Amino acid sequence: MYDAIVIGARCSGASTAMLLARRGYRVLVVDRSSFPSDVISTHFLWPHGMSYLNRWGLLEQVLAVTPAQTEIDVVNDGIRLTGSVPAELLRAYFRDLHGDGSGVVRTYASIRRSVLDQILVQAAAKAGAEVRTNFTVRDLIVEDGRVVGIRGRAPDGRSVEERARIVVGADGRNSFVARTLQLPKFDERPRCTFAYWSYYSGFSIETAQLHRRGRLACAVVPTNFEQNMVLVWGPSEWSREFRADVPGNYQRALDFVSPELGELVRAQGTREERIYGTLDQAAFLRPLHGPGWVLVGDAESFKDQCTAIGMTHAFRDAELASAALDRWLSDDASFDEVMASYERRRRGQDAAAYYDYVCTLAEMRPYRHDELQLFVALRGNQQEIDRFIATHADVAPVSEFFQASNLFLLNDAAKETSAGYPIFEDFAATSRMYQQNLFA
Amino acid sequence: MTTGLDQREDGELIEIILGAARRGDVTTMARTAAEVSEMIRNWATHIPWDDFASLDGADDELAQVVADLEEMWEPAHLRNPVDPDEEYALDKNAYDFYRPAGRNLLTRTEDFHDWVLARRRTETWQYSRVLEAAPGSVAEITNDLGRRTRGINFNSQDYLSFNTHPAIRTAAERAMRDYGPHSAGSPMVLGNTRISDELERALGDLVGLEHVTLFPTGWAAGFGAVVGLVRQEDHILIDRLAHSCLQQGARAATRNVVRYEHLNVESVRQHLADIRGRDTRNGVLVVTDGLFSVDADWPDLVTLQRVCREYDATLLVDVAHDLGSMGPGGTGVLGLQGLLGSVDIVMGAFSKTFCSNGGFVASNSPALKQYIKMFGGSHFFSNALSPVQTAVVLEAARIIRSPEGDELRGRLFAAIDALRDELTTRGLTCMGEPSPIVPLLIGNEKLARVANRLLFDRGVLAFMVEFPVTPTGSSRFRLQVQADHRPEEAREAARIIEGAIADSRAYLSSAFGSAAK
Ligand SMILES: Cc1cc2nc3c(=O)[nH]c(=O)nc-3n(C[C@H](O)[C@H](O)[C@H](O)COP(=O)(O)OP(=O)(O)OC[C@H]3O[C@@H](n4cnc5c(N)ncnc54)[C@H](O)[C@@H]3O)c2cc1C
Ligand SMILES: Cc1ncc(COP(=O)(O)O)c(C=O)c1O
Repeated sequence: MYDAIVIGARCSGASTAMLLARRGYRVLVVDRSSFPSDVISTHFLWPHGMSYLNRWGLLEQVLAVTPAQTEIDVVNDGIRLTGSVPAELLRAYFRDLHGDGSGVVRTYASIRRSVLDQILVQAAAKAGAEVRTNFTVRDLIVEDGRVVGIRGRAPDGRSVEERARIVVGADGRNSFVARTLQLPKFDERPRCTFAYWSYYSGFSIETAQLHRRGRLACAVVPTNFEQNMVLVWGPSEWSREFRADVPGNYQRALDFVSPELGELVRAQGTREERIYGTLDQAAFLRPLHGPGWVLVGDAESFKDQCTAIGMTHAFRDAELASAALDRWLSDDASFDEVMASYERRRRGQDAAAYYDYVCTLAEMRPYRHDELQLFVALRGNQQEIDRFIATHADVAPVSEFFQASNLFLLNDAAKETSAGYPIFEDFAATSRMYQQNLFA
Repeated sequence: MTTGLDQREDGELIEIILGAARRGDVTTMARTAAEVSEMIRNWATHIPWDDFASLDGADDELAQVVADLEEMWEPAHLRNPVDPDEEYALDKNAYDFYRPAGRNLLTRTEDFHDWVLARRRTETWQYSRVLEAAPGSVAEITNDLGRRTRGINFNSQDYLSFNTHPAIRTAAERAMRDYGPHSAGSPMVLGNTRISDELERALGDLVGLEHVTLFPTGWAAGFGAVVGLVRQEDHILIDRLAHSCLQQGARAATRNVVRYEHLNVESVRQHLADIRGRDTRNGVLVVTDGLFSVDADWPDLVTLQRVCREYDATLLVDVAHDLGSMGPGGTGVLGLQGLLGSVDIVMGAFSKTFCSNGGFVASNSPALKQYIKMFGGSHFFSNALSPVQTAVVLEAARIIRSPEGDELRGRLFAAIDALRDELTTRGLTCMGEPSPIVPLLIGNEKLARVANRLLFDRGVLAFMVEFPVTPTGSSRFRLQVQADHRPEEAREAARIIEGAIADSRAYLSSAFGSAAK
């Protein structure tokens, strides 16, 4: 009999198992994969994601093999904003959400999942959790309407049964727990992006590049093994045509969004792996908990990749859920009480506003005139650029930046005009052109 | 660890697997699955990649695999489009249209108008409803599609229900008879009448400040006070949520504007120390509302005024909502905090409790009064309050200070308490403190817009506020209570509102609650 069984041993699962084991609980964490191994993800970790690793004492291990930077370039239709996430906003984030603002770092990194997930699994084991890989859960044991354990297939093919006071579903978007319990999906937002990426050697860049033009975007970020992750994405309505020629359209998208990055990749880059991709990214929420079970990570809330936030959110869930479970397992509070507090944080206003922000962005409509002018107005206003980046990354609440009096002040403080940017020259014609499927 | 370049892309492989699955060819499925990337296999964990070979014969298992792969390969939403109007109406914010494109000022407003039309077609446009008759605790209104309804009225800012009060109506009729409908011109020329002077004195008595200036609207009073006093090199510290007339006044007056965190007096102190560390020569105006009209809370004015004096800054408080409707003898938040007569500058509006239009600025300084009259453009260059408005406000001020005023406020607060209690008991979140404004927090704009649409037909008239009135993602209903609301009426309204919110959640299938953070 365990205190907790965690299904899934990646960003959300291994972290939850580690945090519970560190508090002295008997934890079993299982995963059908073995480690190190990859999973679909472009693995960009914003500074709060890095801060979680730091708070858990794992950052050094990551940094030993992964390049990290502080400044990021965000370029929208040629309007460049360079900035970073401020420490005080990071501290406020941790204080508000977890009651303690310690351990923040301002760097970001792009960490291959084969690297990161392995570090997390090892940390869980080191903390005393029992880790079983190549272990597929095939059944939940339910007694009197309550989940009390799992049945699964061990590596040798045997069927194994284990029991615990709580089963944590950390099993991703296609959650086995959710499917088995037939949990409904809420707030479904079908519109999303298609994303295709691969890994290149042969060039190096200083800061992560996030570019957007019309309905397409690309990102180039240094990652492990002296390679760069090169990603393009666009509206899923265009995916059928894109897929007709993946390598050709991948390069075409890069060239369209940023001719310089397209040229860099073409002329100097050597592709090291096949091109990966998906368009199965419709957003949803699921119920967070029920008798004997709780969900964390993608299993409870999946969002499009366009703000690169899923791993960080998985860490957040791990900290929130393990803190809540700790109070219950130590008889400090009832299960209902601790789950209600988990739910309040995960389903509150700020979370809803950010969810809307990501889902709206994922529709990949061309930026409107006012949005682009806002980017121009931000230029030269470092404090607000930084706050915008922090808002985009879900460090600062959407409501703080997108507030009327703030936006008016931003306009008033503008140092630049739209004059230097070709996008404003024939805006209407360009917007119409942007609506055309580039791959048709 | 990484896979080689010679392998085919997952898309190609999945198409092959799908084709084979539809034919029941599990051997090809299994062979091809082995080549699918680890990335996909570890993500699409619901597909039994390793077990394709054993699917033989089990038809429904195979069918499930086909369905799951199809959904992953070409999700349903790419096949079924949604109602574009409703989606457009619910997804956008007004601010999305703040900077239109193009050099023709007339035509470039059309984008915004398209959105308004989409909101109207889907009946989610909460603005521009019209009244069919004098509103009381119940009102009859028409929305801007011409649809009529009747409901418990939380849209009026007539907190003491003066609109139907006989003495108020009599005062209006008498002024109409004595002076006619027109104010002859600017108050600087001949726009005022004898009762204007009387009104200035009555207001001065109410707030304990001797020198009062009248403005044609509350908005003009706030804007005029700020631009009248503050010059380019001066500084303004303004609560982030202070009313639009003050925010816009601040923007018009100087670029040195700091928006401090709502109600945070300590942060005002820090900003003042910072400003005074750099600038000992220019003025600093600190600006706040008394009762905040969207959050129903108020600052610690005692400390705020003290801090201002320490740094030689001037405090301006907007008492538009609280004066008359709450506090001892109707003296509002100032009276509650024992500050009558000791705040630097007080401004207010007659558009709420005073049952009219207009506004005022008051202080203890005759010099300030003359200065604002001259340089606050909205006093000098706008026609004075009309005689009827003036008379109504004067009569309202009299009742507010009389025992009848206390009785009306007693009834008002009985209704407020009933409404808040019933909403809270039903698990909803009322923000702020008991006051004539009861902000019911919703959060998500879509949810608020749909709930608002339902309420229209269910007998409750509630005003929904969203961006730009509230920050993005914290929309709410602003319920404005009146003395004429019976407690039972308020409870009934709370029950209806709860039902509409629950139904909207179900309609949107939303799991978000409305707790902050
Ligand atoms: C294209 C794309 C790009 C992305 N890019 C980023 C990015 O740049 N930055 C970022 O932060 N996020 C990104 N994300 C999101 C991120 O990948 C996820 O949010 C994150 O992986 C969620 O972690 P998790 O632990 O909840 O789930 P997962 O990482 O999906 O892990 C679930 C685990 O559960 C195991 N499992 C499932 N079923 C069973 C079972 N029955 N028995 C045993 N084990 C089981 C699986 O094997 C798997 O290992 C991206 C997502 C996509 C689709
Ligand atoms: C706090 C506050 N100040 C000023 C005003 C402006 O008053 P008026 O409507 O009289 O222009 C209002 C009302 O909208 C208000 O709520």
